[in-house]
Formats: sequence, C-alpha cells, structure tokens
Amino acid sequence: MMGPFGASPRIRIVMILAASMNSNLFASIEDAVERLQRGDRNALAPIMENYQHRLYRFLLRLIQDPVVAEDIFQHTWLRVMEKIGSYDIRRNFDGWLFSVARNLAIDHLRKRRDSSLDANDDSGSAPIDRLSASGASPLEHLLEFERGAVLAAAISGLPLIHREILTLRFEEDMKLDEIADVVAIPISTVKSRLGRALESLRRRLERP
Amino acid sequence: MNIHASIRAMLPLAAADALDAEEMRQVEQHVRSCDECRRELDTWGVYTAGLQRLPQPSVPVHLIARTQEQVLREHEHSATLRSGSLMFSGLAIYAWVVNIALWGVARVVTGGKLCVLGTNLLSLETWLLVSFIVGGTTAVTAALALKHHGELGRNL
Repeated sequence: MMGPFGASPRIRIVMILAASMNSNLFASIEDAVERLQRGDRNALAPIMENYQHRLYRFLLRLIQDPVVAEDIFQHTWLRVMEKIGSYDIRRNFDGWLFSVARNLAIDHLRKRRDSSLDANDDSGSAPIDRLSASGASPLEHLLEFERGAVLAAAISGLPLIHREILTLRFEEDMKLDEIADVVAIPISTVKSRLGRALESLRRRLERP
Repeated sequence: MNIHASIRAMLPLAAADALDAEEMRQVEQHVRSCDECRRELDTWGVYTAGLQRLPQPSVPVHLIARTQEQVLREHEHSATLRSGSLMFSGLAIYAWVVNIALWGVARVVTGGKLCVLGTNLLSLETWLLVSFIVGGTTAVTAALALKHHGELGRNL
C-alpha cells in the first residue's frame, strides 16, 4: 500500500517535470516583463497569453458585459505598454496588472453611471438547498454545474466592491495583502469587505 | 459580544482562509466544542468551495490577436509621432541657426542697414519679429498640412 507521499517513480518524474515547467513559466514571465520594460515589444505576446484567461475573467466579473470587458481588456494592454516604463520591477506584476485593469473598469463604470459601484441587492435568488449539498455523491457532481451557475448569478447581483473582492480571493487565489495592493485599500478593509461580501452573497442565496 | 458571537462572526473569514494564525486557533478551539458553530463553518465551507469552482468564461476567439494588433498599431503611431516631433525640433533649430547666420551675413554685406518703408530690416528687433511671423506661419501651415495628410492616411 502506498502512503500519501509514496508515489511511484513515474508519477514522481511527472511531478518533478510539472514543477520545473511551472517554475520555468514563472521565470520566463518575469523575464518577459523585464524585457518588455527594456522596450522589447516581442515580450508582450507571452505575457498577454499568460494572463489572458485570468484578466478577461476578472474584467467580466467586474463589468458583466462581454463586449465591454473585451474593450477594457484591450485598453488594459495599451495602458500596460504606456506605463511599463514606470513599473517597479520589485512589485508583484499580477497586482500591478490587475490594478491597471481595475482602474480602467472603474473609470468605465463611473462614466456609465447606470451601474452603482456600491449598491445593488435585489435581483433573483435561488434556494440554499441547491447549493449546500455536502459529500461527493453522483447527484452532487451532476448538480455542480447548476450550483456554479446559481452562485455566479448571485455574485453578479452583488455590488462591484464585493464582486471584485470575491473574484480576487477565490478565483485569482490572491492573499489579503495582494488584494490590498490591487484595490489600494488597507488589509483590514480587505478583510472586513471580504466578510461582508460573503455574508451578502449568502443572504442572496438563502432568500426564499 | 460573548465568545460564541465573536467566533461566529469570524466564520466566513475562517472558511475563506483569511484569518491570522491566532484567530484561526480560536475558531478551531471553539468549533471543537460548539456544534452550532461547526455546522455554520461547514456551510461557509460549501460557499467558499463553490466560489473556487465557478463556471469559467472562455476568452473570445482572436481577442489576443486583435489586442496585439491594436497595441502594435498604437505603438507605431506613437513612434511616428515621436519621430515627427524630433524632426520638427531639428528643423526648427536648423532654421534658427541659418536665420541668425543670414542676419550676420546681411549686416556685413549691407553695412547693417536695409531700409524698407522707413524701417531697418536688419535691426535685431525687426529681424526677430519678421522671423517669428514667417516661421510661425510656416510651422502652423505645415502642421495643418501634416494633420490633413495623417487623416487622409487613416481614412484610406
């Protein structure tokens, strides 16, 4: 019988290869950012490819309109090219990139004005029992997509400040200090905002 | 606030792994002896697990290609503007050097006097005034012509 760390040699080789590929990827992205900062335009493609899914998803969660999210996505990269010279290489690039995107998204929403930045709490909801099944029964797996859709719909009804905090924490898997860097607020505020966002989400889902 | 209520308020953050070590220790200690809070923490755990498995949007086809194209176009446009500005600055400096040299030569050749309608064109003030008027008019005309040319180029 094999223990949790007693993987077969083949699996171990695959794990080592995966880990080295991952570290190579990170090294190359940092390298690409440095090259881009030195004026090498060819470095933009690997950076953009690396962040495309995360950035687009983040913008879509904030803006909630695919066409506008695309537009802001493009503007984000234009702004990156414009500002890369002033980017401090010691700073986390993820945080910098997401804060550039966030600022553009907020500017857009402010101009649009029909989307409040801090209030919106009355659209549709779904019963909690569609979400809270525990364990891993086949039914649980079958309902997973539906639950995800229910949850995504509930998130879309939250105010922007809650949507951004939830997506940064749970989808981008950012730590509190990284979120604070992106949103430009103190860590204590990130913490309280995260708590309020979760409570607000739960209220929406549990509403009959 | 009693300990039960304060721990209960921390449960969403505990499920979100957003508490510091000491707070987490307090929560863990409390839920060991409080069934209600343990159930509550489990429920929050379902939410946070769900948040990590939301349906993922797919990036629109060609978005990256379009963005790269736009970035390059913008970059080239800025480079053109920069080189245009450099060229204009160079030309302006060259024009002023030639102008001052010409003024010196004209003064030597004419002995410093070239009167038109009672005004000495070779006095420094008049020469500079005429130079500013002629140079400024030329620069504005050239800028308008280039702008028109640029708009034509973009429309074609």
